[in-house]
Amino acid sequence: MNRSAWIIAEHQEGQLHRGAAELATAARAVGDETVAVVCAGVGSEVAAQVAPFVDRVLLVEDEALAGYTAGGYTHAIVALANAHSPAAILLSHAPLGRDLGPILAARLATGMISDCLALEWEDGLVGTRSVYRRKLVSRERVLAAGPAIATVQRGAFLAASPADAAPVERADGALQGFSARTRLVSIDHAAPSEEDITDAKIVVAGGRGLGDAGQFPLVQELAKAIGGVMAASRPVVDQGWVPHDRQVGSSGRTVRPQLYVAVGVSGAIQHIVGMRESDVIVAINKDAQAPIFEYAHYGIVDDLFKVVPALIEALQAE
Amino acid sequence: MRIAVCMKAVVDPQAHIELDAEGRLRAENLSYEVNEYDLYAVEEAIRLADASEGEVTAITVGTAGAVQGLRKGLAMGAETAIHVDCDADRLDAHATAALLAAALAEGNFNLVMAGVESDDVGASQVGGLLAEALGFASTTLVVGTSRVADGKMTVRRELEGGDHAQVEIELPAVLTIQSGINEPRYPSLRGIMAAKRKELRVVTPTDLGVSDEAMAPRVETLRLAPPAARERARIIEGTASEAAAELVRILRHEEKVL
Repeated sequence: MNRSAWIIAEHQEGQLHRGAAELATAARAVGDETVAVVCAGVGSEVAAQVAPFVDRVLLVEDEALAGYTAGGYTHAIVALANAHSPAAILLSHAPLGRDLGPILAARLATGMISDCLALEWEDGLVGTRSVYRRKLVSRERVLAAGPAIATVQRGAFLAASPADAAPVERADGALQGFSARTRLVSIDHAAPSEEDITDAKIVVAGGRGLGDAGQFPLVQELAKAIGGVMAASRPVVDQGWVPHDRQVGSSGRTVRPQLYVAVGVSGAIQHIVGMRESDVIVAINKDAQAPIFEYAHYGIVDDLFKVVPALIEALQAE
Repeated sequence: MRIAVCMKAVVDPQAHIELDAEGRLRAENLSYEVNEYDLYAVEEAIRLADASEGEVTAITVGTAGAVQGLRKGLAMGAETAIHVDCDADRLDAHATAALLAAALAEGNFNLVMAGVESDDVGASQVGGLLAEALGFASTTLVVGTSRVADGKMTVRRELEGGDHAQVEIELPAVLTIQSGINEPRYPSLRGIMAAKRKELRVVTPTDLGVSDEAMAPRVETLRLAPPAARERARIIEGTASEAAAELVRILRHEEKVL
């Protein structure tokens, strides 16, 4: 029997998210057939954009689906899932998937595995994920009978290569009977920055290890001495020490500089996804167990308040 | 406005974690603390309640160790608390949501808030599952809230890359709260003293009429294991100035990035 693995195509303002090609690879790992479900506004080109990555496309077009809302997507996907009984439904562990996944799991009376790094089919959908701040890896299986649901970590799967475009089947009836309880009012884009950290050849990022706002100028001084720009991890931005356009990570910017220096950054995965493709990564942290050292090429395990001034001095020595 | 806030006791994120011979968490050395994300939810709930002459109820599912979180919620400004006495570490997200829904169903809540995820297993599922169990609308990753008008509110939802969505949502609703939305207050001494006199109701799954069947797991953990060793950074040894000088030499002459 055909085991159908579905992916929910993410898109914003008419553009398919590149994560869809990663989801297609994940779906290939668990199903014999891959299907992209596209919920979109009338006249959208998202179905055509995702078609080269999967075997089939199911398209629900309605003005109510022009922007993502949990209600509209849930109504359409549940109707399709009841009609077609897929084995699995995969989403990105990103704003859409984190919102929609649990609601689908509840409506379809099934189980969900979040933020998967690997997926396979072994008497059901089996996912591998990190827990306890990546100190352990957990292998989990969905037990429920309905379509199994998983969200997939961005970057955990290689993007599928485009092939011949799959046929697009329209399923416009799927939104029948829908009434909205949530409405997308607008999407606010990040304001353009004075200095774009994504363009910099050298980035120096400060993290929670700086302790408090008064210490952050140390990161600025190092950035200046090394000829780079100053950036930060999420906790620092949350505290309001530096503006949001300096944040590196999943909810901030993705950078790929020649040199990335992480100062007092522990290495939460949300930060790592925004910097792991840097050419050379240096970490300075007093905690030898900090996950940042698994991604860094060079590390100094010591008090940053001793190391950074020494580093500035060494840089200025010549 | 009546607001409930879900709080979870999580394994101390700084804790050294070990497994026993059966691959289960070695529990004896573990300490628990309040999930940090839930404190943002408590703070936001108190602010919304203050602006609308509302009242906040803190709720947790867990063993006796989870009560300290409720006490903190009460000390911050929640009026009442509900402790669903049950070993949360043995429950999957669906069972946790079923218990929370049963405990909150009779409370006439307009809003239920929770941290966006827990800082232990971090599945970020309970919010959505709870909304469905209660029949509420829901949205996640909330970094801003408006006042309620005409039974609706507008929330600011975090997207990727610095983008945000403004979402209008009908109440009753479940919101999961992202860090950075506010600065959670430290409980005052007066708040801590007052918390001791506030109502803290303890209920069991049986009291709530939630059967074992309703809590049957939908996801099973097959194995917990340490992560596969990754190639680690080349650690530069020596005093701070020796290490700094060596690092600069490597970056200049070996990597040639300076």
